Amino acid sequence: MTQPILQADNLTKTYISGATPLTVLHNVSFAVRQGDTVAIIGPSGSGKTTLLGLCAGLDVPTSGTITLMGLKLNSMTEDDRAYIRNQYLGFVFQNFQLLQTLTALENVMVPLELRGEKNVASRAIELLKRVGLADRLHHYPSQLSGGEQQRVAMARAFITNPKMLFADEPTGNLDDENARHLTELLFKLNQEEGTTLVLVTHNLELAQKTNRILRMRGGELIEDSSAVSIVQS
Amino acid sequence: MIEYTIRLKRISKTILADGWVWRMAWRDARHNGLRLALFMASLVVGIMALVALDSLNNSLQNDIDRNAKELLGADILVNANRPFEAELKSLFDSIPHPQADEADMASMVLFLHSGSSRLIRLVALRGAFPFYGKIETQPADAYEKMKDGGCALLDETLASQYEVSSGDTIKIGNSKFPVAGVVTKIPGGGGILSTLTPSVYIAWAELDSTRLVQYGSRVNYRKYIKTASDEQAVELAGKLKPLARKYGHGFDDVEERKRELGEAFQSVYRFFSLLAFIALILGCIGIASSVHLYAREKRAEVAVLRCIGSSGWQAFNIFFIQIFFLGILGSFIGSLLGIGIQQLLPFLFGNLVPVEITLSVSWLSVMKGMLLGTVMGTLFSMLPLLSIRFVPPLTVLRADFEEVKVFSKAKVAAIAGVVLFPVAFAVWQTGEAVTGLLFVAGLVVALGMLALVALLLLRSVRKFFPTRASFIWRHALANLFRPNNQSRVLMVTIGLGAFLVATLNIIEKSLLSQVEFSGRENQSNTILFDIQPWQKEGVIALMKENNLAVNQVVPIVTCRLAEVKGEPIDVLQRDTTDRVPNWALTREYRVTYRDSLHHSEELIQGELQRKSSGKDSVWVTISEGMHENLEVTVGDSLVFDVQGVPVKARISGIRKVDWPKDPPNFIFVFPAGVLEEAPQVYVTSTRIADQQQANQFQQRLVNEYPNISLIDLRLILSTVNELFDKLGAVIRFMALFSIITGLVVLAGSVINSKFIRIKENVLLRTLGARTRQINRITLIEYGYVGLFSALTGMILSLGGGYLLTTFFFKITFAFSWPELVTTIAGVVFLTILIGWWNSREVIATPPLQILRKEV
Repeated sequence: MTQPILQADNLTKTYISGATPLTVLHNVSFAVRQGDTVAIIGPSGSGKTTLLGLCAGLDVPTSGTITLMGLKLNSMTEDDRAYIRNQYLGFVFQNFQLLQTLTALENVMVPLELRGEKNVASRAIELLKRVGLADRLHHYPSQLSGGEQQRVAMARAFITNPKMLFADEPTGNLDDENARHLTELLFKLNQEEGTTLVLVTHNLELAQKTNRILRMRGGELIEDSSAVSIVQS
Repeated sequence: MIEYTIRLKRISKTILADGWVWRMAWRDARHNGLRLALFMASLVVGIMALVALDSLNNSLQNDIDRNAKELLGADILVNANRPFEAELKSLFDSIPHPQADEADMASMVLFLHSGSSRLIRLVALRGAFPFYGKIETQPADAYEKMKDGGCALLDETLASQYEVSSGDTIKIGNSKFPVAGVVTKIPGGGGILSTLTPSVYIAWAELDSTRLVQYGSRVNYRKYIKTASDEQAVELAGKLKPLARKYGHGFDDVEERKRELGEAFQSVYRFFSLLAFIALILGCIGIASSVHLYAREKRAEVAVLRCIGSSGWQAFNIFFIQIFFLGILGSFIGSLLGIGIQQLLPFLFGNLVPVEITLSVSWLSVMKGMLLGTVMGTLFSMLPLLSIRFVPPLTVLRADFEEVKVFSKAKVAAIAGVVLFPVAFAVWQTGEAVTGLLFVAGLVVALGMLALVALLLLRSVRKFFPTRASFIWRHALANLFRPNNQSRVLMVTIGLGAFLVATLNIIEKSLLSQVEFSGRENQSNTILFDIQPWQKEGVIALMKENNLAVNQVVPIVTCRLAEVKGEPIDVLQRDTTDRVPNWALTREYRVTYRDSLHHSEELIQGELQRKSSGKDSVWVTISEGMHENLEVTVGDSLVFDVQGVPVKARISGIRKVDWPKDPPNFIFVFPAGVLEEAPQVYVTSTRIADQQQANQFQQRLVNEYPNISLIDLRLILSTVNELFDKLGAVIRFMALFSIITGLVVLAGSVINSKFIRIKENVLLRTLGARTRQINRITLIEYGYVGLFSALTGMILSLGGGYLLTTFFFKITFAFSWPELVTTIAGVVFLTILIGWWNSREVIATPPLQILRKEV
């Protein structure tokens, strides 16, 4: 039996909106094993993005614990969590989140440069070739289409060989054809790199490509089952 | 079972060791060139002004050092306002070094070719003066001719004012002199002095023939001495200085003159450099405001960087490096421009200083400017930039995620730096802790008040929004409240420039109104002095013949203080604990006697002067202010030396004197019946309606009573006006830097809000707005910005001007509406111009082009 790569225990998150506390997650617990591909689905406002953010160490829960690769994220400083993200995690976002002032190549190089690694351009170029952007290396995000931008984002996510990849609606801003192409690319790279994948999506077609689905509603985890059974139901 | 053995090995790199932040700073800067350049531009103006002044000051101090002997014309100078005492004379006689003499006094000069006359400073010279430097004349040999006797030299300004040429004849006192030429340069002279009191030069031997030196004449005597070496000068100074001080005379040697002049110009420099510093602070406020917006816009990018592993400090360092290097670059450009501006300053300052300014570049000033600009720019950027450290990475998922306000140590340090550095600079610049602190406190109060006025103005506009105005006017006004529009910062920065200009204008007007006699009925505008007792009746008759009212005929007796509160003057002089200034103890007092108050006087303490105090003394009154200088009050005793006769007196009362009102006015007033028998002269005053009447009267007066001098207060008014023109030009020039800084901040603001404006214009155009309408909206919006900025400055300047004139200058508050309105119009025009110029791209871009760019 393997120790979970990610363990969430009784996660609760409350935001203060004005003077009113708003609880967006209630006692959510689950574990993810290495190599899993997990989709978090649910209607808008169900807490799935908040859950993803907490699991990736982008925020800390109000109560409960998150253990990532044996490390408790709650007790870490923000800069320590940033270090963990840089070393072990990758991200793909719905709105691509590329740095507008950097070229495609520079965007992909950033995570490795942050580690202080040298001669990172060759690895970045290779990844950009793998995502089909060999001729777009020196283009700025504003000169790329949405699909191309998301491929750059994917190359940036995989360049550090992350243990886990977090994706927030990775195809949400793309047309059908681009979405299909991106999905194939995401799972292909994920398989090749042996990455654990956690993604948030509304798209059941995308969700069913994972081997496990967590269904959220009203801030609670209401179902945790295999993708096949959820799609069938 | 898989065990994860991850350990935190995070190593914090310093900014210098972290190559990644430098690469990112460069990559990001490539895309924000224009905006970053605007941060820099805000800095450039202030540094430019500071470096220009500092470099000029260094040049001037060097020039003073180099020309110190030429400024004095000798190694040692002793000056007195009465003939030198026997003790001093015998010391002069025993000195083996070359000596020269000068006597000067006020006198009337009559220009025979035109019949006009004027009060001048008559200078009689004897000996080989100047020993250093030379008197430059036109023609070149005119000075030698004058020394030979029989002719006079005129200051160049006087000659050109009265159109006097070589060969014309002038009459001074009882003598006529052909004009040998004009003086273009004289050691220690020139500069602003010649504007105030133009001089006529004659040979010493001619002075007697003018018969101007009579009882009551105020003659200043100067003894110039040249020594063979500096050591001899020091030795001689050791003998002469104590003796000169004993008799209350002035003493100057080269070092002292250098120090006095150096300090005088250092003070002027400090004042102007503080004005320049205001421009720099305004620029820094502009930078802080722009960096605040920049940092806010960068939040999304910073969140991405944080998400992929950048630490808060790393994200901060990227932008810090940009700002830091821009600070260096901006300061460098500012310094270079400052050197350029320095070349222009002699045209402004040139006529205010007695030395020829050498146009040399002070690299020390450039270094100082660069250091100051970099530190100030960086410090003011730190505060808004530090917020970058705390951008939560979750913002990548939730753009509306509210960050928690963090009050870090770095923030505290930045706030401390922003507050303390300007204080430290001001203290260093002024050389006095209190003045420096007061300056910064004053500036903070002024900025706070400006911000408050700006806030109130904007609130009033919101409250009384003109809902019935046309769409264009309403929309332009509403734009002031657009997010990121920096309306308040603009109103403060541009408003401060307007405030400086308007306050200067108010002070100038108020001071001028003190000497403005033309509008006052029956107020004397002409004073006749040095009237000998036997001339009194004749002069009064002459005035009546010319239909001039004789407003007052006042006797004047000269005397000195011999004792104050029972202590002889020489004892008080030696007493180091005594705080009474030496000049107050040793000066000559010109007193009068009467039993009533003049209408310019008000008794504020005690009683009027009266003949007997019952203690072998007379009761005298003293003017307010002088009683503080002499540290005396009602009841205290004084002994006056009236032409060698001791007169015991006690102070019966203190008078508040409105000095400019119907002169002459007096420090001490004796009762009638005491000084009648003392040698005395008379002063009378009258009101002359126009210049023609003045010319006629002056001509007859100079012809019939050549020793009597006449002060035409209208001439003083025009001289004061001229003085203000010269000084005002310099101050306005310095205030201009603040306005320019404000306009640079405006340009930055326009560029900062460019994308919001473009979106808005696209929407308006899509809805059918024409270019002309968008143009009008833009122009009106900047018109509002300019108007409100100018109004902010004006409102504060009226308040500040009132306080300054009433409580500091203690004069009547006065201002000129047309000039204030002109200032407002100028600010509005400049603001519209800069605003429109920077908006051209926004206005001209077609909507489709914008939509395609996915703005």
